[in-house]
Amino acid sequence: MSIKTFRTRIRQSLADENLQLALDNNAARRRDGRLAAFASLPDFPERRLRAHNVKADVVAHLEEYLDQFITRVTANGIQVHRAADSEEALRIFMGIARSVEGQHTYSDAGVKPLLVAKSKSMLSEEIDFNHALEAAGIRIVETDLGEYIVQLRGERPSHIITPAVHLRRSDVGKLFTEKLGIPYTEDIPVLTNTARKVLREVFLNADIGVSGVNFGVVETGTLAIVTNEGNGRMCTTIPPVHVSLMGIERLVPNLGDLELFLSLLARSATGQKLSVYTSLINSPLPDQTRHLILLDNGRSALRASPLAESLFCIRCGACLNACPVFREIGGHAYGSIYPGPIGSVISCALVDPQLALLAQASSLCGACKEACPVDIDLPGMLLRVRSGLSLQSSVRDSREGVGIPYSVKLGLKSFRLAAGTSSLFAVFQSLGGLFSRVYSPRRAFMRLPAWTGWGYSKDFPRLAVRPFRTRWGKIGQKVDEKVVLPQEKRNPSESAAKLPFKSLSHQFTEELTALGGHAYVVSEKELPSRLVEFLKSKNIDRVLVDDVGACFVTDIPTSLEPDPVVRAGVTGALAGIAETGSLLLISGAGQTLTASLLPEVHVVVLRTSQILPTLADALRRPEVRAVPAGVIVSGPSRTADIEMTLTIGVHGPGELHAFLIDDSMTV
Amino acid sequence: MTETVQLFITCLIDSFFPRIGEAMVNVLNRAGVRVEFPSAQTCCGQPAFNAGLRSEALPMARHTIRVFEKTTGAIIIPSGSCAAMVRHGYLELFKDDKAWLERAKTLSSRVYEFTEYLVDVRSVTELSARWSGKLTYHPSCHLLRSLGVDRQPRLLLAAVRDAEIVELPEREDCCGFGGVFSVEHPELSAEFLTRKIANFEKTGSPTLVVADTGCLMHIQGGLTRQGKSQRVVHIAEVLNNL
Repeated sequence: MSIKTFRTRIRQSLADENLQLALDNNAARRRDGRLAAFASLPDFPERRLRAHNVKADVVAHLEEYLDQFITRVTANGIQVHRAADSEEALRIFMGIARSVEGQHTYSDAGVKPLLVAKSKSMLSEEIDFNHALEAAGIRIVETDLGEYIVQLRGERPSHIITPAVHLRRSDVGKLFTEKLGIPYTEDIPVLTNTARKVLREVFLNADIGVSGVNFGVVETGTLAIVTNEGNGRMCTTIPPVHVSLMGIERLVPNLGDLELFLSLLARSATGQKLSVYTSLINSPLPDQTRHLILLDNGRSALRASPLAESLFCIRCGACLNACPVFREIGGHAYGSIYPGPIGSVISCALVDPQLALLAQASSLCGACKEACPVDIDLPGMLLRVRSGLSLQSSVRDSREGVGIPYSVKLGLKSFRLAAGTSSLFAVFQSLGGLFSRVYSPRRAFMRLPAWTGWGYSKDFPRLAVRPFRTRWGKIGQKVDEKVVLPQEKRNPSESAAKLPFKSLSHQFTEELTALGGHAYVVSEKELPSRLVEFLKSKNIDRVLVDDVGACFVTDIPTSLEPDPVVRAGVTGALAGIAETGSLLLISGAGQTLTASLLPEVHVVVLRTSQILPTLADALRRPEVRAVPAGVIVSGPSRTADIEMTLTIGVHGPGELHAFLIDDSMTV
Repeated sequence: MTETVQLFITCLIDSFFPRIGEAMVNVLNRAGVRVEFPSAQTCCGQPAFNAGLRSEALPMARHTIRVFEKTTGAIIIPSGSCAAMVRHGYLELFKDDKAWLERAKTLSSRVYEFTEYLVDVRSVTELSARWSGKLTYHPSCHLLRSLGVDRQPRLLLAAVRDAEIVELPEREDCCGFGGVFSVEHPELSAEFLTRKIANFEKTGSPTLVVADTGCLMHIQGGLTRQGKSQRVVHIAEVLNNL
């Protein structure tokens, strides 16, 4: 992309009123959401520093960590592949696809094209995964609502977290009418439900599920994948083959570090304490094959460059939301799948060296660094890209000032010569002062033509005929020798008020309710009747259960096998998490993961003694590392992909009810 | 005992707004501080550094270091971005040059932005200044985020007699100056500026206070172009108004 193209795109974005409204809406909501979410994390500054240091350690010792991680993941039964670049990653995937297709042909006589369900992955965008698959005759469907919308439009995502942030509900309404044949509507729940129905079929029939990876845990070989809608869970649970795509830098050393990063990620991205679903994948489920493709694609080069710190990024999108430039132009204008401040740093290394010019599109205001939960010095990185230090320092001189017009370079060079010595500088100052008097005899601010850049929207001050340096000798200083130095009053820092919770189950209930879930405290004796009463009130005549659900559901037929038409699922949970109102579910006896995912109503049975104070406590449970897969559920499935409007119930259950068996008296 | 400080006036105040420099000297005198002006100083090199032209910034930074090395005491800079350049930018600029890095570090430790020096070093907030009417304060980006200076100018303004301080909506948003950014990306810069001026107008204050001359000339330039009568002043001018 040339400077000229970039500036044309900037002007187009600024002229697009629809886009401007969407972007203003995004900026305000995301900023407020993030600030509110971090209010619940009093030790945020320490966490941020710790996260920075953990990532610094991972990037510094990346090869060692990768070796350990690969050993662990392989031992867990997941097939690991390393890809140096996008071609190799695609080749590896095609190999997997062909072997699946081979099996497919025997059973189905090989008529249907292979179907791939994909949950959100920026890495797949980086390697242009969809186009490569389509070219190979594979049908690939994006399952994140925002990604699905942009795929239907033949576009690419315009934001790391909210891919369709550039669109308004009317755009989506028109699109669904045209592509899915529904009557035109601007009703967001109707639009969401339409996508849900279409994509449900995709999940159930997909041959391969593809996902990204948010964090790979070195110690345990766990893949952590977060989504709000539930599509990440679907893609990693339902299809017989699951392929994860992961950048080699996305590692954290252990589960304690995972807790740290999870506490930062959702707060920074969407203002949630945790995303609705955090899948923790250790090994394949029964009858499932899992692959992990680890991609370098320029990351090792980035690591060896002065931009290594950019590899600390956890792709939360907070810097995009904080950036005043992103707010004006949106994601597409950048011409890179990684827009915003972080994109302007890494795109030249991961996408196209020409994109170094993006780094000039910043006022260096630092709002990005302030918003970054890992404290990446983004303005510092942008300055390095501008100076040509990004990739090879050997060609630094030719790339210095990359992206700025020659006229500006010339101006700065001339300024350096003029300001070389103070006497020469004084001469130029006086000449400038005289010239500006002649140019603008009356007005202290001169009207400059628009082509100067400055003159486009503002006037320029006249230079002083007598600059400060020539006035200095005439300033008579009268130093006040008797200054009384008042002692500044410092407010003692107010210690964070203790949260007003009576008990862990009280806190859990409050948090879950805030997420749109419901909790009921019951005695063990009354549980079966309360459960049946509840299910019957919803006209549910059949439920999916796991082994815990099977113990308590009476009077209503139950099924232990996954069945997509059943409307409710009743499961147990390993633990509740009071600080976030979350439930930790694990695969094991019975179909916990599908019974909690496929139906529209999910009912959890949990003892109050199973409620733990924090996420860190839950992740310390030994089962987390021992089971094939687990998931942390934080409220009902949700999306805000259309106009940032919260809509409950996408791919996962739209209702979440927790029945808490009060055993506080007996413990 | 009277403290003596070195004034790094910055090329913008020197060339465009010498009145701010004079006001600042008066204010420092009233705070019990004697001011010296090393006359060989020119520009810190920030414009070239921010544009990515490090080979152009290097000689200017070396010149600045040489000039101030000959002096002692705190170096006071009436601009957040220039102070951030000397305090942080020089360490980046000389990161691969051990000898100069040491010299840059020594200089870096002597540098204070004007309000930071008054409040944090001199513990002065009350300077008997007086201003009738409303004032609103725009926190400049480098001052706020790179130096972490925000409390200091607010304390100083809060002590100005008769002044009614009103909050600027969306105050931490950039005004769109950003050095060469304001010339290179005029359309973007204009959007930021328009929003900043609109927020300023919402306060009903006729006067916007800044502690960075880059923002001053940018916002004032925008107001003038739009034919508005509001003014942008440097905090030293407010504190020098008795």
